[in-house]
Amino acid sequence: MLAALAWRNIWRQPVRSVLSLIGLAFSSLLLVFMLSFQLGVYDTIKIGALGLFDGFGQFQPVGYDDDPDISKILPGWQALLAADRVEGVSATAPRASSFAILASGDTSFGAAVIGVDPAREPAVSTLYTTIAEGRYLAADDDAAIVMGAGLARNLGLVLGDSVTMLGTGNDGAVAADVLQLVGIFSTGVNAIDRQITQMPLARFQETYNMGTGVNVVALRGPDFGGVIRAAPQLRAMAADQGATYLRWDDLQPEVRQMISLDLSTAMLMYGIMIVVVVFILLNTLYMSVLERTREFGGLMAIGMRPRQIGAMIWLELIFLSLLGAGIGIALGAGVTIWIENIGIAFPGMEDVLSQWGISGRVYPDLSWLSALAGPGVIVGSIVALGLIPYRHILRLEPVSAMGAA
Amino acid sequence: MKAEKKPIVSCKGITKVFGKDELAVHALRSIDLDIIEGDFATLAGPSGSGKTTLLNMIGALDHPTSGQVLIDGQPLSGMSKSQLSDLRLNKIGFIFQAYNLVPVLSARENVEFVLRLLKVEANERRTRADAALAEVGLRGLENRRPSALSGGQQQRVAIARALVARPRIVLADEPTANLDSTTTGELVDLMYRLNQESGTTFLIGTHDPRVMEHSKRHIEMTDGQIESDIRA
Repeated sequence: MLAALAWRNIWRQPVRSVLSLIGLAFSSLLLVFMLSFQLGVYDTIKIGALGLFDGFGQFQPVGYDDDPDISKILPGWQALLAADRVEGVSATAPRASSFAILASGDTSFGAAVIGVDPAREPAVSTLYTTIAEGRYLAADDDAAIVMGAGLARNLGLVLGDSVTMLGTGNDGAVAADVLQLVGIFSTGVNAIDRQITQMPLARFQETYNMGTGVNVVALRGPDFGGVIRAAPQLRAMAADQGATYLRWDDLQPEVRQMISLDLSTAMLMYGIMIVVVVFILLNTLYMSVLERTREFGGLMAIGMRPRQIGAMIWLELIFLSLLGAGIGIALGAGVTIWIENIGIAFPGMEDVLSQWGISGRVYPDLSWLSALAGPGVIVGSIVALGLIPYRHILRLEPVSAMGAA
Repeated sequence: MKAEKKPIVSCKGITKVFGKDELAVHALRSIDLDIIEGDFATLAGPSGSGKTTLLNMIGALDHPTSGQVLIDGQPLSGMSKSQLSDLRLNKIGFIFQAYNLVPVLSARENVEFVLRLLKVEANERRTRADAALAEVGLRGLENRRPSALSGGQQQRVAIARALVARPRIVLADEPTANLDSTTTGELVDLMYRLNQESGTTFLIGTHDPRVMEHSKRHIEMTDGQIESDIRA
């Protein structure tokens, strides 16, 4: 009875209700889209920053993250390669790495040298897609190297040139090799383009006297969420081998910090928006309650309890907020799905975005969280603040209410 | 020998004072009054004489400053808001000058509303509501909302609503004040007929002579006091 009455009461002042619904729906739409867009950007940043090289997660020897020494061999790495059978993980790739002096003629530069499995690496890292000249490493490569465009430029190298590598091996002896430049990549990320090189893992192990050891196993999944959800299982696998598992935010804490900072700023804005919307709606409903005080007096006179009248008003508020939020979620989801397909470009911001591995367009990511969080907070706040008119009604006396203007 | 009927309403020395000190207004001054089952009583007097205040006290809508109101021997003082609501729901029917119908409900739903509050089962609710509307001459208009009814028709819905729960007493405060003379006559006849046929007790606050003509008991008030109480 109360629900039916509350629903009809909403439509007593259709213009007022429609305006309230438009306000609610529009703010919900904005929240759905903005949060989806923000989460989409974060995903793009994470995928761009981590997918390019680090991978979405890594198995490492304990303590390697703080002190990445070549002598820290990943225990049981062959078993850890089987993590690609864990749900949410699609590929794994072993790596060994060290620092070396690269020299060409009279020029030399320090760089990170990574030994990778050319057959497995492209499934984990997108670095191979950024090859600007030449090609990426192939399975049958031996004394081959690929490097970033900045480093190649600094060394004055062109494709086919030889480069001398001088480093310290696993046993502390000199590790020296001469490699041929087969590919130059250009990621747009200066730190990578000026410092990173890759060579076949087998050659690296031989040069650095590592035997069959590797330092890390990097992994990737079809999406970020899957790998994050698989983290407990991956941690258990690592623990079984005496190793450790690092999530994306362990690998790139600066990305996590940037996202946290941006999110907290955005939350402040969302909070202000929600407060404004909630109080506008509450004010509208409170006005409607005051206008109907006389009617409430009449209802009390015929035997309706104040608590029932208060509940009816609360239901009106709940219906209105659910309807408005529902429309907003539907429209917001529609707009978000549409933009998910076409993306949004940011002309003139390519340099800034490229530092985060973002190139071209940015795509929102609609999820249950982004669809429901903002409108949910609006509905929850409205329902909670519905206590104000409810308490007002509980205090009404029939005679004074019936005498109200 | 005929047994003496018990009073439905007993007012014992009730006074009502609005305001304080030099601003105090004595709306009721030590009223003693019994309303007996089957009464068709009118409560008359000039504006400000205390008719509405007395009806509010009897209807458990307001509290006296002193004295006691008893409904069926049960004192209202000390009852909670919820208990007073239940008492009004179960024992008192109200008819207001301004009808006080719920605008978003149809005539039938307005009448059914009281039965819903009483948790009457749906089929019985509808049967009783339709019967009450037929009783007041509104058969065929059950689905109309108040805005689609004339003033007289709305007041008939209010009468049906007041009677449908079979209250012990119906309190009407200036029920014909907003109606034309023809409609007033029809409504007074209707209330009188209901009193005659079903024995429903009516206490009607009015200064309309056409209402007073039907009165079996006429109570006259002046300055918050009962000046006369005459049975026809």
